[in-house]
Amino acid sequence: MKFTVSRDALLKPLNLVAGVVERRQTLPILSNVLMVIEGDRLSLTGTDLEVELIGRVALAGGAGEDGEVTVPARKLVDICKSLPEGSDIQFSAEDGKVSVRSGRSRFTLSTLPAREFPSLEDSIGTHQLAVKQGQLKRLIDRTAFAMAQQDVRYYLNGMLWELKDQQLRVVATDGHRLALCTLQEKVDTDGDAQVILPRKGVLELARLLLDEEATIGIVIGSNHMRATTEDFTFTSKLVDGKFPDYQRVLPRASDKTVLGSRLELRQAFTRTAILSNEKYRGVRLKLSENTLDIVANNPEQEEAEETVPVEYVGGGLEIGFNVSYLLDVLSVLSGDKIKMSLSDPNSSALLEESEEGDSVYVVMPMRL
Amino acid sequence: MSNGGAGPSRLYRLRALPTIGAMPEPDSHSAPRKIIHIDMDAFFASVEQRDNPELRGRPVAVGGSAARGVVAAASYEARAFGVRSAMPSVTAKRRCPELLFVKPRFEVYRAVSQQIHAIFARYTPLIEPLSLDEAYLDVSADLRGVGSATRIAQLIRAQIREETGLTASAGVSYNKFIAKIASDQNKPDGICVVRPEQGAAFVAGLPARRFYGVGPKTAEKMAGLGIHTGADLRECELAFLVEHFGKSAQYLYHASRGVDHRAVKPDRTRKSIGAERTYGEDLQAEDALRAALDGIVDILWARVEKQASRGRTVTLKLKYNDFRQITRARSLDAPVTSREQLAAIGQQLLGDQLPVERGVRLLGLAVSSLDSGDEVATPAAAIAEPAPRQGRFEF
Repeated sequence: MKFTVSRDALLKPLNLVAGVVERRQTLPILSNVLMVIEGDRLSLTGTDLEVELIGRVALAGGAGEDGEVTVPARKLVDICKSLPEGSDIQFSAEDGKVSVRSGRSRFTLSTLPAREFPSLEDSIGTHQLAVKQGQLKRLIDRTAFAMAQQDVRYYLNGMLWELKDQQLRVVATDGHRLALCTLQEKVDTDGDAQVILPRKGVLELARLLLDEEATIGIVIGSNHMRATTEDFTFTSKLVDGKFPDYQRVLPRASDKTVLGSRLELRQAFTRTAILSNEKYRGVRLKLSENTLDIVANNPEQEEAEETVPVEYVGGGLEIGFNVSYLLDVLSVLSGDKIKMSLSDPNSSALLEESEEGDSVYVVMPMRL
Repeated sequence: MSNGGAGPSRLYRLRALPTIGAMPEPDSHSAPRKIIHIDMDAFFASVEQRDNPELRGRPVAVGGSAARGVVAAASYEARAFGVRSAMPSVTAKRRCPELLFVKPRFEVYRAVSQQIHAIFARYTPLIEPLSLDEAYLDVSADLRGVGSATRIAQLIRAQIREETGLTASAGVSYNKFIAKIASDQNKPDGICVVRPEQGAAFVAGLPARRFYGVGPKTAEKMAGLGIHTGADLRECELAFLVEHFGKSAQYLYHASRGVDHRAVKPDRTRKSIGAERTYGEDLQAEDALRAALDGIVDILWARVEKQASRGRTVTLKLKYNDFRQITRARSLDAPVTSREQLAAIGQQLLGDQLPVERGVRLLGLAVSSLDSGDEVATPAAAIAEPAPRQGRFEF
């Protein structure tokens, strides 16, 4: 195998592919990246057996010598990154080693046989759709923060993708808060589906969505999801489990509706958070006619208090929240105003953009 | 997720306060758990045999061969002669004259222990280590999608063998108590699976001695009451057990029915860190005692550093040659933060006992009242209100 590639063309896809490679591995070959040359195309593959990413690079200098080999991903990234911008890199494989040359630099990397590189088993696709990368990015950006992390309820460590009546909706929850975003445009696909994309798959997929206007093709199978762009093929196993019925968690009996400036509320929460308990992050919200008071105390008996003017008519309410959960929501919402729907100190709050938004957030209160 | 330090497992155990509508019971309460108990086979001795080919196939004891040494671990070859851990070296040598004594290398055992811990962590974050060579894992969630707890246990055993060159035995069951007994069942290099429906029968056949907390004394007492097996224990009324075994009654009552609800606690925190040494010759002179204590301070401080936790209480232990033992402790307002400080307090505690009237055969030093760094040790924290409780969805 032999080929030449410009550092700058290689670095971006290599970085993304190497991002899939886990630091700690069960099999030595999983810390490697697979390089395959076919004519004038180089493809790079990284996998952790759950998520697989293939990046494609066109070789500008013409075809190389076909072949395939695996080399340590981390080291290759570090070498390419530290070579000067604009340089060309020559790769050649022989005797179980790969030599990497550029200018006056030469590196010899160890290899493992390409035939031992595992590929993700593919299941037959049952649903297909195509969306703009920007649309998908919005869905993920608006919800990913609410995914659980290493929860024993493993089905929460990911994101629900729901296809229903030609509508694509994603939902994430860690059991304390929930985020939901629906694609405004209808998608052209037949049949309904509910699958859970694992957390890592979600985060890696989001990194690929760089070209807002370009299309990304998605194939959902019984065990896998595959997403294809011009330069990448991304495959992820799906979480085999049942996502909770999120509809039951959406509050329907809220009788207190508050409208407030998103920016003012966000700043007020950010400031009060400073003196909240570092561990629990609790803040008290005191709602009265056209006024929201936010109070935080910490174990040192220090106190922060903010008064924010809001549009509210109705009875008083005092309710506690983890301020981080509120700030997470306020950071992804847009628009001048936000709408908060509440009922009592033990019931969840519904947050959304005041106009007809595509996103809904539910946050459980904290008893302080 | 920024729920602020409380790990996911802990949140999972908290009951929700607020509820949304009438939700069905979470099925995690009804579905049986999947618990694995992993136990390395003759751990210290196996490590020594692995690293020194001359020891392979021969009776090996890890520990001191000196007059007062104790066997810390024995290879299976040595066990065939009746050599057991915690046996005085002299007795061991008598039972097995061929016995080869090897000095323990705790750094190596600790490194291997970290290796196997890393292997466990590939399958579950719920790991409760019991010692360097033993741990409970809760794999109910099957995060890797392996398919079964038995298969996970087999994968872990295979990876331990591949990556450390050592063998481990596994018990797989639906609770800690049975998993632990099961791991012993097909030792060495074996696995034993006890399914929920087999649990009661499995427990019924066990000798009473195998129940957690039943030592020789209790076993004798049980025999006096006609209790020899799990089945006998099951016949007993709870009130009867309370009368005879007090605090352990609840546990015995449930365990004999194959029931054990104890959770695998990954956040099990140490209460103290200590180091002690038994000396070949009694120490009585002040110089000798002080020098010996200084050596112990070195070992203890290394352990404290490794734990990255700090303690406020320093305890000195002295065992005299008539086996009388005393401990003396001093608590400070703030944690001990340097080796010098630890040494100074230790020497002060020792100084208070000088001159000693008889020879000292053992010296020990420990720090306790540990904080792990995240607890804020301010007076305000001590009088803080009860912790706030984050509400959860009841899916």
